[in-house]
Amino acid sequence: MKFKNILLATTVALSMSIPAFAESEVEGIHHWVAESEVEALKVIIDNLSKEGFTWKDSAVGGMSGGNATQALRTRLAAGNPPATMQLLGFEGINWAKEGALQSLNDLYTENGWVDAVPPQIERFLKADGNYFSVPINMHRQNWIWANKAVFDEYDIAIPKTWNELIVSAKKLKKAGVTPIALSDENWQVLEMFEAIVAGQGGADFYKTAIVGLDEEALKSDTMIKAFDTLREIKGLVGENITGRDWAVATSMVASGEAAIQLMGDWAKGEFLAKGMRPGEDFLCFPAPSKTPNFTFIIDAFGMFKTDDANVKAGQVAWAKAIMDPEVQAQFNMIKGSIPARVDVSVENFDACAQQGYADREHAIEEGTLIPGLTEGFAVSPEFAGVFSDVVAQFFVTEMSSEDAVIALVAGINNAR
Amino acid sequence: MSRSIPVKDRIGHFLPKLVLSPSLVFVFVGVYIFIAWTIWISLSSSRMLPKYDFVGLAQYVRLWSTPRWHTAVENLFIFTSLFLIVTILLGLFLAILLDQKVRAEGLLRAIYLYPMALSFIVTGTAWKWILNPSLGIQEVVNNLGWESFAFDWITSPTFAIYCVVIAAVWQSTGFAMAIFLAGLRGIDSSIIKAAQIEGAGLPRIYASIIVPMLRPAFLSVVVLLSYISIKSFDLVLALTNGGPGSSTEMPSTFMFTSTFRRDQMGVGAASAVMMLMTVAAIIVPYLYSELKEGGHEH
Repeated sequence: MKFKNILLATTVALSMSIPAFAESEVEGIHHWVAESEVEALKVIIDNLSKEGFTWKDSAVGGMSGGNATQALRTRLAAGNPPATMQLLGFEGINWAKEGALQSLNDLYTENGWVDAVPPQIERFLKADGNYFSVPINMHRQNWIWANKAVFDEYDIAIPKTWNELIVSAKKLKKAGVTPIALSDENWQVLEMFEAIVAGQGGADFYKTAIVGLDEEALKSDTMIKAFDTLREIKGLVGENITGRDWAVATSMVASGEAAIQLMGDWAKGEFLAKGMRPGEDFLCFPAPSKTPNFTFIIDAFGMFKTDDANVKAGQVAWAKAIMDPEVQAQFNMIKGSIPARVDVSVENFDACAQQGYADREHAIEEGTLIPGLTEGFAVSPEFAGVFSDVVAQFFVTEMSSEDAVIALVAGINNAR
Repeated sequence: MSRSIPVKDRIGHFLPKLVLSPSLVFVFVGVYIFIAWTIWISLSSSRMLPKYDFVGLAQYVRLWSTPRWHTAVENLFIFTSLFLIVTILLGLFLAILLDQKVRAEGLLRAIYLYPMALSFIVTGTAWKWILNPSLGIQEVVNNLGWESFAFDWITSPTFAIYCVVIAAVWQSTGFAMAIFLAGLRGIDSSIIKAAQIEGAGLPRIYASIIVPMLRPAFLSVVVLLSYISIKSFDLVLALTNGGPGSSTEMPSTFMFTSTFRRDQMGVGAASAVMMLMTVAAIIVPYLYSELKEGGHEH
């Protein structure tokens, strides 16, 4: 396959009579190693090779991108950065501030990308007045996945508030169904918690308390109530949750053993792989919220500074490939997310993705497109770590909500 | 002829130093330089990348104000003491049993020693399943008919650390046994016979003569096991991943998380220095006393 790509690249490049580029490669570090992720990446690579560049793959899997980040730091320390790197959360902002990333301002203005991306994600694309990365996709974190047969059998309506969700869950528990598929893994508990905070407090409260780390908001009754709700959820997750993988929890919902799971849209692939269809076999709806919101995660690529003209040309081609509307559509149909661009047609996407896309349009207008905490977009890692510690400890012990809030404030202040 | 002897002597004199020097350089750079670098970083305000400023002991204050670090330190003491005591007692016991000239000793020895050949990742993953109430021991016993039987330590924030001890003991007992067995084989049987003639029973012979004579073996076992317990990073990661919550956090996992996952390199370095100091405080006096006494005896 690679040989074929090179061949294709060479012919295209020759026909365009820029043979100098025929030899050019673009090296990139990323952590997409799952089958669908590799397939999705191929869409971008194919587009890149049309421009006469070959892709040198430096995939580093594991630890949700933690290992890839380590690989990058080692390469940078050795003075040998890759041409491009998948940047997660605050990683890109930090590298941009260190001056390691190229400014992509010219590309953004020339190609009209500035208006093609939601303004709410600009924080992860731009630092000190310079665009430093290009986003390929957007995942939504606050989805709930439900088994439709279970919902029909026990006559459960889609919950609009957390109270409704808990009432329905109690009903299911009585009937002998595990209401909520969850694990005691820290990040899964934190996903639940952030959906509760955003849902009960609203997007503005989320922005003040979580993103802004405002001490008064962190100590507020809204926060205490969020912990109370999490405590109620704990009673509804069934037995033997220790160390349960998220995908195992998803398959519990798929099989009807459990009714719902709160998880980002990567869970959709698990249903689709079992041949289940959205709306018919499984349901997707946003986590209950008093004001509709959309918790986002993006994957973006930054370009590292280099003096090599060939590499520079490759970086431009890579950035253009990522921002190509057709590439974004194809990529995201495979990956399960939605395009980062707001001007891509999603008519060929499945029902859940279409709903996500429409919800995002609404959230952009209302200013309720909020960064995900668990995956590291709401606050930098030292603070996200405190949330994870306190929420997980609260979940597995008998800690009171008041004590949890005190521990949260103390931890955040200690990490400042 | 007479001149060549001093040259030969000189070569003989320098050769050991020459042979040892590359490894000395590696150890000096790879260990001591980086210990010094870590101490330096622990006194700086480093976050994602090293930063060479000076903030005094601020990172240590931050470290000791982190509840997760307190859990990690407590766990290290619980884990190390239980792991050392149980492994040594069990290893010694097995070694004494095997020393009774049993049949198929070679086979038994291999069976007990085999867990040591596994990596801690494998041990951790296997025990994660064995200890999981819905997959492992509890499920098996429940299915056998004893339905009220519960063994769910791994799900409990209080008891999960003992699961780590169980897995580590399983892995290392055979190793302790092998060292003790080698020690037992080195004991002159005439001493035992002499004691028997004096009328001492077997328990007395072991308690008063043989076990005290195993002192060098104890030294090796204690030093090697302590270092296993300090670096018990992979076992915890595979078995509990620090959970439930952060209840099986260890200093080593804390250090890794702070430095590489949470952009708190200064705090991570401070925790590494605390670990080094803890190890030094225990091992250095012990080594010193053991080696000093050994020097007097011989």
